[in-house]
Amino acid sequence: MELVSLIKGLHPLEVKVLLNFDGTKAINRDSLTEKLNFNTGQSNQAMSWLVSKELIEEKERATRIKYELTDTGRDYQKTGTPEERILGLIKEKGPHSLPEMAEALGLENKDIGSAFGSMSKSGVLQMNEEKKAVIKSGELSAEMKLLRKLLNQLETSSFDEAEFEQAEKEIIASNSKKRGSAKGIFKIIENEIVTYALTHKAAQVKSKMKDMGITGDEIGLLSPEIIHNQEWKKKGFRSYNINVPPSRVLLGRKNPYVAFLEEVKDKLVSMGFQEFDGPLTESEFWNSDALFMPQFHAARDIHDVFYLKEPTHAKEIEQPYLDNVAKAHENGWNTGSRGWGYQFDRDFTRRMILRSQGTVLSAKALTYAEVPGKYFGIERCFRYDSVDATHAADFYQTEGIVLGNDVNLRTLLGLLKIFAEQVAGAKEVKYVPAYFPFTEPSVEVHIKHDVLGWFELGGSGIFRPEVTEPLGIKVPVLAWGLGIDRMALMSLGLNDIRDLFTNDIEQVRLRRRS
Amino acid sequence: MPKIEVNKNAFFNIFGKNLSQNELVTILEGAKAELDDWNDKEGVLKIELNDTNRPDLWSTAGLARQLKLLQGRDDRKYTFFSRQNDFKDHQGREVQVNAGLKNIRPYVAAFAVKGKPVSEELLKDTIQTQEKLCWNYGQKRKSIAMGVYRANMIKFPVHYKAVNPDTTSFTPLGLDSELTLGQILKDHPKGQEFGWILKDVPKFPFLEDAEGGVLSFPPIINSASIGALEVGDDYIFVEMTGLDMDSLLLATSIAACDFADFGYEILPVKIVYPYDTPYGREIVTPYYFQQPVSMELDYGRKLLGENLSNEDLLAALKTAGNNVKLDSRKVILTPSEYRNDFLHPVDVVEEVMIGRGMSSFEAMVPKDFTVGRLSPVELFSRKVRGIMIGLGFQEMIFNYLGSSKDFIDKMNIENKDFVHIMNPMTENYAVVRKSVLPNLLASESVSANAVYPHKIFEIGKVACLDKNENYGALTSNYCSFLLADKDSGFNDVNSLVSALFFYLSKDYSLKEKDDPRLIKGRTAEIYYKDKLCGIMGEIHPVVLDNWGIGMPCSCVELNLDILLEN
Repeated sequence: MELVSLIKGLHPLEVKVLLNFDGTKAINRDSLTEKLNFNTGQSNQAMSWLVSKELIEEKERATRIKYELTDTGRDYQKTGTPEERILGLIKEKGPHSLPEMAEALGLENKDIGSAFGSMSKSGVLQMNEEKKAVIKSGELSAEMKLLRKLLNQLETSSFDEAEFEQAEKEIIASNSKKRGSAKGIFKIIENEIVTYALTHKAAQVKSKMKDMGITGDEIGLLSPEIIHNQEWKKKGFRSYNINVPPSRVLLGRKNPYVAFLEEVKDKLVSMGFQEFDGPLTESEFWNSDALFMPQFHAARDIHDVFYLKEPTHAKEIEQPYLDNVAKAHENGWNTGSRGWGYQFDRDFTRRMILRSQGTVLSAKALTYAEVPGKYFGIERCFRYDSVDATHAADFYQTEGIVLGNDVNLRTLLGLLKIFAEQVAGAKEVKYVPAYFPFTEPSVEVHIKHDVLGWFELGGSGIFRPEVTEPLGIKVPVLAWGLGIDRMALMSLGLNDIRDLFTNDIEQVRLRRRS
Repeated sequence: MPKIEVNKNAFFNIFGKNLSQNELVTILEGAKAELDDWNDKEGVLKIELNDTNRPDLWSTAGLARQLKLLQGRDDRKYTFFSRQNDFKDHQGREVQVNAGLKNIRPYVAAFAVKGKPVSEELLKDTIQTQEKLCWNYGQKRKSIAMGVYRANMIKFPVHYKAVNPDTTSFTPLGLDSELTLGQILKDHPKGQEFGWILKDVPKFPFLEDAEGGVLSFPPIINSASIGALEVGDDYIFVEMTGLDMDSLLLATSIAACDFADFGYEILPVKIVYPYDTPYGREIVTPYYFQQPVSMELDYGRKLLGENLSNEDLLAALKTAGNNVKLDSRKVILTPSEYRNDFLHPVDVVEEVMIGRGMSSFEAMVPKDFTVGRLSPVELFSRKVRGIMIGLGFQEMIFNYLGSSKDFIDKMNIENKDFVHIMNPMTENYAVVRKSVLPNLLASESVSANAVYPHKIFEIGKVACLDKNENYGALTSNYCSFLLADKDSGFNDVNSLVSALFFYLSKDYSLKEKDDPRLIKGRTAEIYYKDKLCGIMGEIHPVVLDNWGIGMPCSCVELNLDILLEN
């Protein structure tokens, strides 16, 4: 079994080596190139894989020297060495001074100088009285001829040191880069050749491979060509190792917190609620006054809401709501209430702030709501709070209202029960009397959550008539708010509210919901 | 929400019996209160009171009293209250009000306490009541301030005067030398804390006795002599000063009932005004001023959703501690001396709920049929979100508040049309975003270690000052996205915009534009039906540098409200 899975994991290069070599036959770069036509890269890969699988083992190590042309060498091979070009020039165009030669051939003076020096020494050329070079023997030296032979021989590929005579080796050495010649013609490459042979384990693998009918010619990647030419009919498919660790995929994805909020919205819609929306900036009027919170209320301090630097005040507050609400505060208007009994400040009510509670939008919805009607919103709110693990500068609130003659304390409890079961998946529900300035009676709903235990899911109540009647609503209105952030954090496996709005891309990519 | 600490023994003593922690938690619900801590070692209970309209519950005695009532035990006997045309004998204890206070701090109420020496726990509880009543209910002493004194040292009548702050001096509590009232505001810690209440008034309130003995400088500080109440004192004078007669009288009544519940005798005090008050020029306090409130029985039944009998309704109201009587189809409720939170008949309805107990009401599924619906902008956002995800983008969700450094300076733009917060808590959350791009760049700047390419987007709100708006600012719904990768740029986001609009079935056109955030010549405004609805381009390296980003970024920002218009 172990052998089979090892064989399945073999690359075609490995398979070919195993099938084409026997016993102690030398496996090295040369033999692989010769026998299997592997290039250097393929040879090295095949050997390193086979070593790691203990199918071949090292037998010997030798240093080998190879020669090849440099760029200069290739250039000389094509256009001629300086000596060849000087000779050609004089033969064709007659005598030239050294500067004339440099100009005609586009070579530097010092190169012309040294080339002419050696040609003059070996009697190819000589200088006349006018200091111009003229033909003497006209025959290049034996050394130069040998150089030409080497240039031609190494034109296309490198050759092993063993293939050259001593004299040739000397010429190569004296014109090689290695010796520090500024314009080397030859490169001398020293390589280590490692030779391997099959191991005992390889023999077992080979025999098993034969049993399995593996040839190394199996199809790897299925290409359009193979489908088209039907080559697959003749060859089998190479088995892949299915346990290779898969590579990572980057994908487009919904933010998990957004997904959570969408689900809550969908549940509320399924219960017959219409979604409302509104601006981030609000007036004190809608944020608190319309909710019958007295202007001197302790929670309306400068240390509870964010005020806008500019504009400080709204131009005007919608009528008749302003008059109605002002009177409700002052003396109850005609709501049946005695009001708060103070002088309503019509300047303060225009003060601009950042929305501090989602209930603002519930109040505003009363101005256009239908009866019967259900409305909700999940809205960003802002509070003057130190930011820490449980407090954010801005955060979502989930709020809503139900209008109708059907609304009373018992249907309020019924709705809270549905929320607890549908939104929070709670099985046990408990109701506790609560206090909110804008509802009476007021009830909190506590639920027993599988993981979190008992906690407060939300607050609710029946809007005070001082809230609804000034906004034109005559029927009772049930108002509710759900604290869903704890469930969101748990669902996302977080315990710091700041992480809901993290900047960290990798964190968001890896974040999942339970 | 007020939080109080009560002495466990004193609390259960007044309550009449001991409770286990779980029993206490349960019955506290009837008072809208929560147990925060039960400390056996120190014998202290920490309790949070949620009803900001019930200051009578913010003390050991007041809370124990309410819980006892809900248990069906009522032994309240407050015989010391005066009423209109029925003043109790004040036995010469009198406060005379000076005319100069009318526009400064016009009202005062008082009573005395006698019967047994003040214990340490009572002294502690009295100080707490004073703090809670004056801080939470009395707007940090602005509308109610309370003082307690050694009554044995007082020679009646007491004078409540308006005095010159620079020529009047006394030794305040905590010091051993005299200061003028002006110096106290500057140098005494209480003066520094509460001096704002006396801003802009020409003269300061002052309480002294018939022989010039100083009681206090309300609402700031007591004197070091008459105003230094000690354990063992057995005759106490209590006064409150303030701006609004009703809340002042209520606070005085609450304090008096608390002392009475601790077993003290309450002695009335007469107040004589030189100007009119809602209850006349002479008034003896503690004074019962509350008006009865009535509730139609059918109104109660309808709001509760429960067809209760008249008897059940009355019984529930009595259990909650109320004096009630039936008047044909109405119930008339006379509020308890220490309560004034009945504004409307609904407040009576809730008393029925509390009196009967929450568990007696059975949940009922609402029957009205309504059609549920997402908002148009949510539906459109979901469509856009679906396409962005299909284009391979990871959705992000960011804070709307940030710093002007991030939103303005780093973006290489002018401080124009931003919604700034006047009273930010920290510079980090001081501005509302006008664009989502700074959030996307902030994300990129901390995410260089995440595998590239980075393709992120957010659909969310921004706000921008707008003089045409009644509220001076316009909130808009945006979809913005950022592509960060080598070999990425304008052509990539151009293709993405094209795909997005194709699948939204909307046409658009582009116009070249210079924008200090983006590279010139690679920036385009996006128009939908000739209306500017967005911008796209390559983030300028100046901006990338500001954020410390080393990867090319290109971006798109779209106003969904404009795309949604038609």
